[in-house]
Amino acid sequence: MTKIIVITSGKGGVGKTTTSASFAVGIANRGHKTVVIDFDIGLRNLDLIMGCERRVVYDFVNVIRGEANLKQALIRDKHVKDLCILAASQTRDKDALTMEGVEKVLKELSESFDYIICDSPAGIERGAQLAMYFADMAIVVTNPEVSSVRDSDRILGLLASKTRRAEEGKEAVSEHLLLTRYSPDRVSRGDMLSLADVNDILAIPVLGVIPESQAVLRGSNAGIPVIMDAESDAGQAYADAVARLLGEEVPHRFMDEKVHWLKRMFRFREKARHENTKSA
Amino acid sequence: MLERKWLQNNGRSFRFKASFSPCLILEIIQPDMQIIQKELAELAQHAPRFFNGSSVIIDPQKISGWDKADYETLKQLLLSQGLVPIGVRGGNAPQEEAAQLAGLPCLNTGKSAPLEIVPAVPENTLRETTRLVTSPVRSGMQQHAREGDLIVTSSVSAGAELVAAGHIHVYGVLRGRALAGANGNKDACIFCRTLEAELVSIAGYYLTKEEMASIPTTPSSIIQIYLQNEELHIRTL
Repeated sequence: MTKIIVITSGKGGVGKTTTSASFAVGIANRGHKTVVIDFDIGLRNLDLIMGCERRVVYDFVNVIRGEANLKQALIRDKHVKDLCILAASQTRDKDALTMEGVEKVLKELSESFDYIICDSPAGIERGAQLAMYFADMAIVVTNPEVSSVRDSDRILGLLASKTRRAEEGKEAVSEHLLLTRYSPDRVSRGDMLSLADVNDILAIPVLGVIPESQAVLRGSNAGIPVIMDAESDAGQAYADAVARLLGEEVPHRFMDEKVHWLKRMFRFREKARHENTKSA
Repeated sequence: MLERKWLQNNGRSFRFKASFSPCLILEIIQPDMQIIQKELAELAQHAPRFFNGSSVIIDPQKISGWDKADYETLKQLLLSQGLVPIGVRGGNAPQEEAAQLAGLPCLNTGKSAPLEIVPAVPENTLRETTRLVTSPVRSGMQQHAREGDLIVTSSVSAGAELVAAGHIHVYGVLRGRALAGANGNKDACIFCRTLEAELVSIAGYYLTKEEMASIPTTPSSIIQIYLQNEELHIRTL
């Protein structure tokens, strides 16, 4: 049974496309036939992050309009065997997507793929609603700041009401939180919301916490999804999150403050001095 | 059913119009003519102009066994006090017959169903107008109880809105807006366990988050917000 996963957030710039690319690679690497679709018509980015922008001939809108068939439009990923990409159109806008068209494409893809990942555009308009409408599972990408959390909350409301599962009264879309750009030391300084703060408001299962990392931007610019950078903490965190999505139990990492050894020593001395003054 | 042309003037000397004119209903509680006469006279003395020419409909529903209804006497009695009986409503079959004998028309013919058939609503069932919400109320969502109370067992996010004609109860965290008594019911209240609401309102009177910050409440208690003297009050129960 094919699983349709939507990567969504409401707010822009929180890491939806980065997450879509990394999850697509991560799931495909584990031997599942996977396709990732860019729903951000007019602002196509996924092909850049996946490093296949020069191979885009036909796109999602061409397929919906019958100007090309799926075989022509699907781009095979050059790094991972079981992964295909369906790029967005850069010259059209989101109104080019129709409910019937999207349904038809998803149905056809379901015949040959195990996982369909829908990279949602930002906002709550047509593009975003179509990306989530047919989903079985949603990964809500959130940054630890109030506006992103508020927007994610709004999206969770839409997932509970504006999806096919909700409209047909079936089992609800399963919701997962992915907290990105997390910086434990900024959290401990009180500059950033903690995972607990975010989950107090959203109250959905946590799929993973991706630390703020230089590797993300480096990967995006090079067209290599960050999950392939196994050295980086962000890459490892994505790999953990993919494992959890596929049902494995992996402990959470990268959530504690990184403390320099000198600072740690200094802190130890501070603490010792404090204790001394207390006893005296 | 009258045809439309009969209801319009169409050059005739009269026309029918539907109308509701004010009139008094005389409910008979004790069918003793002498007592009624005495008490009526007393009332008329206190307010002599109150009865002057008022039309009256006699309603014998409150008394069950008044089969030999003496409408003739009652009619004369009312006329003597300046009241004009124009008919009888809500009586049983023998009472209606008696009314017709006294020349009083029965006005309840429009309602053909006898009262006994109306199914009694068991008192222990929840009113259908109460709404129960168990899933989280997310930002941008609105939950509306148009006629009754709204009970929310989950949390209400910032940017969400609860509206109820009656009371609002929230058992999760209330972070959004809560508007009770939306149709103007000043007795409506809001009950919640933690008050982090953006706005609370009862019958149009409201407090914003800023205004609520100055009101001390002990955490994790039960909070009631109610309207008194056109001002919202917050107290812990």
